[in-house]
Amino acid sequence: MSEGLDARAEIFKLARLLRRDPAALEYLEQVPSTDIRALREQVTDMLFTAHGHALSRLAAASKVLPVGLIAIIGERAFGPVLAARIAGMLEPSRAIDVAAKLPTSFLAEVAIDIDPRRASDVIAGIPPQQIAAVTRELVRREEHVTMGRFVGHLSDEAILAALEALDDRTLLRVGFVLEEKDRLDHIVSLLPERRLNGVTEAAAAANLWPEVLDLLAHLSKQRRSAVALSAAAISLDDAALARFAWAVIQEDAWDPLFEIAERMPEHELARFAGALADHLSNLDPADRERVLAHGQSAGILERLGPLRVALGSGP
Amino acid sequence: MPRRFVEEGDGTIAEEALRALEAQLRGKAPEGLSRLHAEQLQHLAEAVREARHRQAAELEAAGDQALRHIPKALRVPLRRVLG
Repeated sequence: MSEGLDARAEIFKLARLLRRDPAALEYLEQVPSTDIRALREQVTDMLFTAHGHALSRLAAASKVLPVGLIAIIGERAFGPVLAARIAGMLEPSRAIDVAAKLPTSFLAEVAIDIDPRRASDVIAGIPPQQIAAVTRELVRREEHVTMGRFVGHLSDEAILAALEALDDRTLLRVGFVLEEKDRLDHIVSLLPERRLNGVTEAAAAANLWPEVLDLLAHLSKQRRSAVALSAAAISLDDAALARFAWAVIQEDAWDPLFEIAERMPEHELARFAGALADHLSNLDPADRERVLAHGQSAGILERLGPLRVALGSGP
Repeated sequence: MPRRFVEEGDGTIAEEALRALEAQLRGKAPEGLSRLHAEQLQHLAEAVREARHRQAAELEAAGDQALRHIPKALRVPLRRVLG
C-alpha cells in the first residue's frame, strides 16, 4: 500500500500525542512510516516512565481506599492525565470498578491520555455498554486517533457496541489511523452489509477516498471484494469522480482501484477511466509503465479504454 | 555506519539537533529521522520537550490536589504509604 498514506496516518497519531496540529509535522512525510511509529512509541514510553516512582506510590496508596473514594479523587483531584497514568498500575478488577463510577465525559478524557498497551486488561474488562457510551463521546470530540488505539484491546462484543456508536464517516477515519491494521479485516467482517454501503457513500460524500483505498489495501480477498462491490455500485458526479481519480494517482493506490474498477458497470467504468486519463500527465513514464503492468496482471486493462490509451498501450 | 544528512553544510547543525532530540527521547532516534533538516529536528525536539514539561506540570498540580479530597482519618496511613 501507499507509503504516503501510512506516513500520513502515523503523523496524525504523533501529532495527537504531542498535542500539535498534524500540518506542523508534515515534514515527517519524508521519513518512513515505520520510523514515525517508532518515534511515537519512544515518546509514549518516555512520558509513561517519567515520574514512574511517584505514580506507583500513588497507585499503592489507592489500595487502602474504597473504590468510590478513588473515583472521586480520580475525577476531582487527579484529573484525566494522572488517572490515565495510574490506571494501568491498579489491580485491573479494581480499576474496572472505579471506571464504573466515573462519568462518561471524564472516561473519554482519560482515554485520550492513556497508553492502551499499559492498561489492556482494564480496557478489556469495561462492559460493552460503557465502551459504547465513551465511544459516542469520543466521536463527538472527533478523537479518531484515540478510538483507533483501543480497538486491539477490545472483545468482539465491545467492538460491536463501539461500531454501533460510530457513524460511517467516523468509521472510515478511525480505520485510517487504526493502531493494529491487521485487525481491520476482522472488524469489517463484523459489519452488516448496510454499513459497507454507508461507508462507501460516506467516502463519496466527504471525499474520503484515500481512507477507502487504504481500507481496501488491508483487507482479505473476500472482504475486499465486498467493499469494492459496494464502492463500484455508487454513481458519482463528474466532480466526485475526478476527486476519486486524483486520490488514486496521488496515493499510488492502483491495486485497490483495480479491485473496484473490475466491478463497475461499463458506462461508469468508461467515465472513471476518462477521469483518470485526464490526470495521467502527472505520472512520469516509469510510473505509467508500472501502472500498465499492474493493470495487465489484474486482467482489467482491456476494459479501461481511455486509460489504456493514456498509458500508451494502444487503442 | 555514520548517519547521512540530506544537505551538505547542514550536517553539523543537524547532528547537534539530532542529539538534542535524542536527549529528550532518552535514547537513540529512529534512523529515518536523519532525512530531516536541522530546523525540523529542532522543532521535533522542542515538541517532545514541551510534552514532557506539560505532563510534569499536570502531574504536580494533580498531586497537590489529591490529599485535599481524602478524609482526615485516612491521611496519616496514606502519607505513610506515599513516603
